[in-house]
Parts: sequence; C-alpha cells; structure tokens
Amino acid sequence: MASALPSGDMGAAEANSGNGGQMQKKPFTFNEIVLRNRLTALVVDGDNFCRLLEQGILQAYGLETQSVNNGDAAVELIASGAKFDLILIDMLLPILDGVEATRRIRAMGMRCKMLGVTACSGERERQAFLAAGVDVFVEKPLGPEILIPVLRELDGQV
Amino acid sequence: MERNPMRRQLQTLRKSLFDQGYLDDQFVQLEELQDDANPNFVEEVVTLYYRDSGRIILNIEQALERKPFDFNKLDAYMHQFKGSSSSIGAKKVKAESTLFREYCRSRNGEGCMRTFQQLKKEYATLRRKLEAYFQLARQAGPVETACRPK
Repeated sequence: MASALPSGDMGAAEANSGNGGQMQKKPFTFNEIVLRNRLTALVVDGDNFCRLLEQGILQAYGLETQSVNNGDAAVELIASGAKFDLILIDMLLPILDGVEATRRIRAMGMRCKMLGVTACSGERERQAFLAAGVDVFVEKPLGPEILIPVLRELDGQV
Repeated sequence: MERNPMRRQLQTLRKSLFDQGYLDDQFVQLEELQDDANPNFVEEVVTLYYRDSGRIILNIEQALERKPFDFNKLDAYMHQFKGSSSSIGAKKVKAESTLFREYCRSRNGEGCMRTFQQLKKEYATLRRKLEAYFQLARQAGPVETACRPK
C-alpha cells in the first residue's frame, strides 16, 4: 500500500544531467567507526526536521543526544551545568542566533568540540562563526567525511 | 548483478534520480543509516522532510503576496528550507534555494518570484519520483545487507 508523501499543487520540471549516479566508494561510511566511550552531543537547530535528522545521525553513530531549537535554550542548558562532548549548532536560530550563542557558550568556559552546521555558505558567515568559537564550519548537510574524524578524535581513536 | 527483475527496475530508477541530478550523495548517506532495525528510515526521513518543508513553502508563498517584499524574512525562510533540502540530498531543490537567497540579497523581487516557481516545480517533481521509488522498493521487498555494527 503506497503512502503518498505530503502533497502540494506543483507542476512538472525538466530533467537535467546529474553526476552520473555512479556510486563511488566514499572515503568514510558510518560503519567505519565504533565508539569505545560514551559520548554526548547537543544539537541546536531551529528547524524541526534538521534537528531530528542530526540527532538521528548522531544516535546512529552511538552518541547520546539532546537537542534544543534556539540559541537561548542552548546557552541556558550549558549555564545549568550540562556538559557535552560535541555541540552541533546552526547559525540562524530563533531568539538568539548561533553566532552569539556560540560566543556565550565559549565565554562560560565550555571547551567541547563545536561544529557550526549551517545552510549559510558565504565566507563572511564562515569567518563570523569561526571567530565566535566554533571549531569547524560545515555547510549543510553534515556528512561522515567531517563527522567521523571528529568522533574518532573525541573517542580517543586518533 | 541483480537477478530479481523488480530489484533491477528499482536500481535503474534509483540511478536515474542521481543521473538526472535530483539527488546527491547526501541521499546515499541516509541510505547507509538504514538497517534491519530501521528498514524504512529513508522513506520516513523524506516523509518528514516534505511535511515540515511544506509549511516553509507556504510561509514563503504568503510572504511573496505581501508588498513590499520583506527580503530578510524571505531569506530566513529559504535558509531554513535550504538546510532541510540539502539534508536529504535534494540537489536541484537546493540549487534553486541558493539562487533564491542570492536574489533576496540583491533585493530582486522578480528573481525571487521566478526562482520560487521553479523551486516548487523541482520540489514537486522530486516528491513524485521519490514516491514512485519508495513504492517500488516496498514491492521489491528487503535486500540482504551487512549488518551495521552496534
């Protein structure tokens, strides 16, 4: 029984050539890492879908996760004493944006690995996010080629 | 070489989604997270995407009906939409999202409207193609894969 994806009233589109669809072996896949230690992560993303997906991906790698949907909640959580090995934080967030939230989290002395995972792709945004304190600026989507080396480092496998 | 004709058809359909530029490698990453414990993971993720992003599309449509355009708001909506779309590997949709944001930054209302129409077409086309793909995948049945280490 087919279940349709949520609908809209859209029309057809032309097809253009893509990348050939040939599945080349990726340098990293999810099964190239098995965590030896308990790692925790916080996902900060205002978009419900992205937040759930990033949590799901981290959980698939074996991390314990929490998530919040705005920068202010992230700062409050850290201020309350919560500690994480990894924070994924988007740039454009409700209430308090990711750049300012990152700045405040770092100002509290939190030295965990922070990945700025955002749909922003400009150099100006990248520099601003790095200056605020993220360790890596990642244009969405977050792929294993970035995540796996980070997890290996956090897990002491490097 | 896949002997099951339905699975061959599925592989062909899947390949076409990449060949024609509808999907990129991020979709492959999602497939790799699918296992016996979560056999419908990709379809569930895509279903969630279309449910959530449909609301953003509506917000943008409503914002484009208000003059003068609030380009900052439009850009913020599209930023969110682009992030979601890139997370499922929706390549063409992501490309149109990027173009829309460029028009927002250059305060080009005509460009925004034109690009948004194209984006909706790509969005709808991808949805139809993925619906067909998942329907065929269900008919073809599960394929044996190596278990992901826990």
